[in-house]
Amino acid sequence: MLDLLKIALRNLLRYKRRTLLTASLVSIGVVFVLVFISVSASFKHMMIGQITDSFLGHIQIHRKGYVASIDNLPLTLGLNPKAFAKVEKALNEMPEIEAYSKRIKFGGMFSNFMETTNIRLNGVYPDDEIKTSPLLLSRITQGEKSLQPGDIILPELLAKGMKVKVGDTVVVIATNRDGSVNGKQFLVSGILESATGPGGRDGYIHFEDAQEVLRMETMEISEIAIRLKDFTKLHSVFADLKESLGAELNQQGKPAFELHTWEKLSPFYNIAKMIDLMTFFVKLMLMAIVLISIMNVMVMAVYERIREIGTIAAIGTLPGKIMAMFLVEGLSLGVFGAVVGNVLGVVIIFLLDAAHLTFEFGRQKGLLLSLNMPLQDVFLISTIVITISALASLHPAYKASRMNAIDALRHV
Amino acid sequence: MSLIAARDLSKTYRMGETEVEALKQVNVEIETSSFVSFVGPSGSGKTTLLNLMGCLDKPTSGVLTVDDTDVSKLDTRMAAAFRGRTIGFIFQDFNLMPVLTVYENVAYPLVLVQKTGARERKQRVLDLLDAVGMADQRDKYPYQISGGQKQRVAIARALVTHPKLVLADEPTANLDHKTAYRVIDIMKRIKNELGTTFIFSTHDQKIVGEAEIIYTLEDGELVKGGVK
Repeated sequence: MLDLLKIALRNLLRYKRRTLLTASLVSIGVVFVLVFISVSASFKHMMIGQITDSFLGHIQIHRKGYVASIDNLPLTLGLNPKAFAKVEKALNEMPEIEAYSKRIKFGGMFSNFMETTNIRLNGVYPDDEIKTSPLLLSRITQGEKSLQPGDIILPELLAKGMKVKVGDTVVVIATNRDGSVNGKQFLVSGILESATGPGGRDGYIHFEDAQEVLRMETMEISEIAIRLKDFTKLHSVFADLKESLGAELNQQGKPAFELHTWEKLSPFYNIAKMIDLMTFFVKLMLMAIVLISIMNVMVMAVYERIREIGTIAAIGTLPGKIMAMFLVEGLSLGVFGAVVGNVLGVVIIFLLDAAHLTFEFGRQKGLLLSLNMPLQDVFLISTIVITISALASLHPAYKASRMNAIDALRHV
Repeated sequence: MSLIAARDLSKTYRMGETEVEALKQVNVEIETSSFVSFVGPSGSGKTTLLNLMGCLDKPTSGVLTVDDTDVSKLDTRMAAAFRGRTIGFIFQDFNLMPVLTVYENVAYPLVLVQKTGARERKQRVLDLLDAVGMADQRDKYPYQISGGQKQRVAIARALVTHPKLVLADEPTANLDHKTAYRVIDIMKRIKNELGTTFIFSTHDQKIVGEAEIIYTLEDGELVKGGVK
């Protein structure tokens, strides 16, 4: 094998310029793909992090039918204490769960005593909410980074539009599940930066205040947001949770709960899927570059060395060995291109990361692009390049091995 | 004992619509350790006969045995293995691998054809390079040596596997007279030392004179032949 490799490398060096050009093409392709994967993956992961850590959580649990009506924020589809106790028991039994937060979500009227507008509010226990949505505090751009009973944290656009500042008193009026209207005064304790996706422009009040506004005699939870210790275990934890809660049936004999991962709740998941699709097509382009460039070189190599092939065949080299000789040559070219491309790609990614690039998404500004290059991606790209190099060499190598020695020796 | 026996050996090529009879009913026996030359004008069938003896081609009819093997029955892979074991080749254009040094060219059949151990390989290669007077050029590449030197390297390569038969198609055609004689001398010396059978084709009448047995081919037929 080492001898085949030596001959292959010598033959590659024989046509230095051509080898360099082809290897450069492969390397540039690898660099392009690595940088694209790194940037797009970093963007995707950061946005997912922003969405899940700002308000959505990794998994949400609702009473069956709630999500279908989620835009209406129905108060008739909440989880009562008995149902919540079942969920709480299941959640407490799962060590993979970092935190969870129960929320009462409702829509109401918001008044600054001069003007009135609509508002969507989350009634939460602040400690639980901050553990479940750790970016919530960093979104509070003005005021206290806490939420006491009687306080309200307003979304910045609403505060700006209604000319409300921290320390102002406002009124929230809401209709409860029975249809009666109630109102309560709140002190604006903070202004909340908008976040991308559903819930990104909601305000926050204390859970007990929400119960008071809605005149809840018993707790009626709209949703339970869950944060996992390890996001990569999302689907396995989701499956376990679904299995654990799936057996709970309502009075109609249907599942009492519905569970969703963030993917089903945020439209960004479709963007994430588009990014994955684009990444796939970029990988396809790399495959095409490698396939065409290496196949071209190997076809030329076979054509230029027909007499040599005739000679080695005549002196007894077995067809399989002749094939291996050309396969190793194409493979070496691919390996060289992949190694150089990976090294360059990682260096470029490192430099881009060091440049602290920021970007804007929706109303979110100054999002820092944190680039990294997972080893599995480097391994995957290398495997693609090397495999395609072997495939690209296969046909020319096969032709070389099947060449008639006499015809090959006669070739001028 | 015959190393090669050809009985009613014929070879017909098809060139488009026409059939060309390259060899017609050739009968010949070549003994072990002989120094044989096939002569004849271009197109007389010398190369075709050498190709058949070298298991590079198959006869259209007739029987050809080389070292007691009916070579017409060998498939491509078996023929390659047989050549690697039994036959050495010397080509008119030397056909050395340009990316390998003189030493590596000679070692090639032992590395990729016969898989000989490193120590034995080195000994054999150095012995043969010494025998053909190329030991001091061992690290040079083919482009760094002359035509005569290339052919001496090609002889060493042909002999390194210790073949019973060496076939040389016009081995001196690209050499000047002095070099050609030197190459033939080396072949004869090795034949005498190792008992290898050499069969070569040539146009050169002076070189022909160096052969022990000369066969003449004309239009694919063996018209004359025998010991001088």
